[in-house]
Amino acid sequence: MTPVLNCLRRFLPAQLALWLLLLGLAQPASAFPIFARKYQTSCVTCHTVFPKLNAFGEAFRLLGYRLPKESEEQIKQKPVSLGSEAYKRVWPDAVWPSELPGNTPVAVNVKMASLYASAYDPTAGKTITHNDFQFPQEVNVFAAGTLGEHMSFMAELTHAENSDGSASTEIEHARLGFESILGPDNLVNVRVGKFAPNLYAGFQEMWLMTDNGVDPLFNYNPVGFKGGVGILDDAAGIVALPARVRGIEVYGIADHRFFYTFGLMNKIAPGANAPVSGSSALESTGLPNGNFNNNSHKDFYLRLDYKFGGMGLDGDTEGVQLPPENWRENSLRVGVFGLKGNGTGVDFLTSDPTGTMVDEAGSFHMQDTSYNRTGLFASWTWSDLNLFGTYLRGTDTLQLRSADNLTVLSENDRTFTAYFVQADYVLRAPLHLSARYEKLTPGDTSVQPLKFANFNVSYLIAANVKLMVEYRRDLAETRNNQIATIIRAAF
Amino acid sequence: MTKTILLTATLLAVGATAQAGDIHGKVACKGVRDSAYAVVYVAAVPGKTFAAPKEHAKMDQKNLVFSPHVLPVLVGTTVDYLNSDAVLHNVFSPDACCDKFNLGTWPQGQIRSYTFGKECAATLLCKVHPEMEGFVVAVPTPYYAVTKPDGSFTIPNVPDGSYTVKVWHPKLKATQKTVAVAGATQAAFEIAK
Repeated sequence: MTPVLNCLRRFLPAQLALWLLLLGLAQPASAFPIFARKYQTSCVTCHTVFPKLNAFGEAFRLLGYRLPKESEEQIKQKPVSLGSEAYKRVWPDAVWPSELPGNTPVAVNVKMASLYASAYDPTAGKTITHNDFQFPQEVNVFAAGTLGEHMSFMAELTHAENSDGSASTEIEHARLGFESILGPDNLVNVRVGKFAPNLYAGFQEMWLMTDNGVDPLFNYNPVGFKGGVGILDDAAGIVALPARVRGIEVYGIADHRFFYTFGLMNKIAPGANAPVSGSSALESTGLPNGNFNNNSHKDFYLRLDYKFGGMGLDGDTEGVQLPPENWRENSLRVGVFGLKGNGTGVDFLTSDPTGTMVDEAGSFHMQDTSYNRTGLFASWTWSDLNLFGTYLRGTDTLQLRSADNLTVLSENDRTFTAYFVQADYVLRAPLHLSARYEKLTPGDTSVQPLKFANFNVSYLIAANVKLMVEYRRDLAETRNNQIATIIRAAF
Repeated sequence: MTKTILLTATLLAVGATAQAGDIHGKVACKGVRDSAYAVVYVAAVPGKTFAAPKEHAKMDQKNLVFSPHVLPVLVGTTVDYLNSDAVLHNVFSPDACCDKFNLGTWPQGQIRSYTFGKECAATLLCKVHPEMEGFVVAVPTPYYAVTKPDGSFTIPNVPDGSYTVKVWHPKLKATQKTVAVAGATQAAFEIAK
């Protein structure tokens, strides 16, 4: 358990704790100037306002960082051959030929944030405010590219300096892709490693123009009495849709417009899972500590989408009239998704039935022995407007266990629903507006729903430098709010 | 009188040249960086066969590159492979049209040879350096050319007549068309994947 989280859990009311915790959470960047260099093209070829992708950028991503119907002449940095093309005819008697990027495929994102945050502490009866220059808040080093015709890679190392004075370095992404390995082009692709799964295409932070992610989907922990312990950092090993997974994923596009993905992944408690016996064990349960083999259960996920109108998901434009403004199209993408997991054997600290966190000694544990997440996604683009959102329903089977002997004291099924709706609008090519409403409602009606509003104005100073002002408000406790002024540059 | 004889001789010479003109033009190669390395050749001259030249063609291996990258030869030609590098090189081909030959490995300054007995577009590889790639294109007539990066080519001394002219490229689909040669004749081609 991180010292910060531990402290927050013990001494602060849950809602205040979660708000303070979120202040320093850095959202990963996802803009790859590597490809601007490789193709000698602008960032806005693929991004509406980075990291948000336009239809072409989404196709480029799904094709394993290749242009639709890519030809050799489009690649301005000639790759280094690791084997003549003709070696494909010699295989398996020789190594399958591949390529390396022509230049070192590394890029850097820097994010500077001036953050004003206000959080109400009901225990002390006062509001705590912060006004920080987080210069920088984080620096991301990316590597991404293709290794010949059927392989790709992406890695991201993020160093973040947090508002509490701590700093962290994390491998946020490190994955290999194997594209078009069976059947028609783009039908069967496989990714292995740590990555943001395509389960979230269109609504995870990697796809959003806002600085804040959608917390009810990615940071809500249902473990606990009634409505769970609320919004917490995903790094704490909570039972929520994981922002990034360690897993294996298969995905593909059929007939230009049908998209599927399914995968198998590690989920909760990639950290210690020692037998629970006494207070010391409580320090090391349900949390990551760098080990990956403690919850041997794997989560399974599936998503199916179809896109009506606009550019095909593989960049196909046959029979489609598209305007020169590359963020514009008239399209509707809809999808259904689901995730099924098993957290048996992973112990979480839990509060007492009043919601107060109990001290470690003699406290209870909870295990989420079965959790399901099902949802709908829709994204409607009409000229300069992109309206999109996700509805999620979660069910959890929670076992309350004694601290020392793992006796199951009770078992309950809990449910919650969460959704968000976001409208992004391109006012001018460099000026973008965004508004989002998020809500999470626990099944237990005695628990107050979580509601947030998020507003963003982004201005592209240059294609690779953006300035944004973002306001986020906790609608359930309006004294919790924050305003961030952020400059991000990718080079 | 002398002037008349000279004029007549000149006219006769011009007439003779026109009967054996050339084919020149451009090949537009779509989807690759430039239009180099396409081989343009006359597929056959009716009623004529061509003896293989006694002189060997040469392909060098220098600085880890086959040079020239594409070498067209007349069927029956022997190609000498020189190793000019201070490292060992090998030459083999995965193509059946040249019996998937493998010439082994040899050091700097030495030569190994292979005779292309039939029509073939042979890919040449080096087992020691997998990135190396070259091509020998054995064609049935001595009327051939390799395009420059701008796609231009000239096949000289082609007898007047109507011929099938073929275009081969290492990465693009081959094509062909009938060209009526009458003196200096232009022909344009476009090839793609």
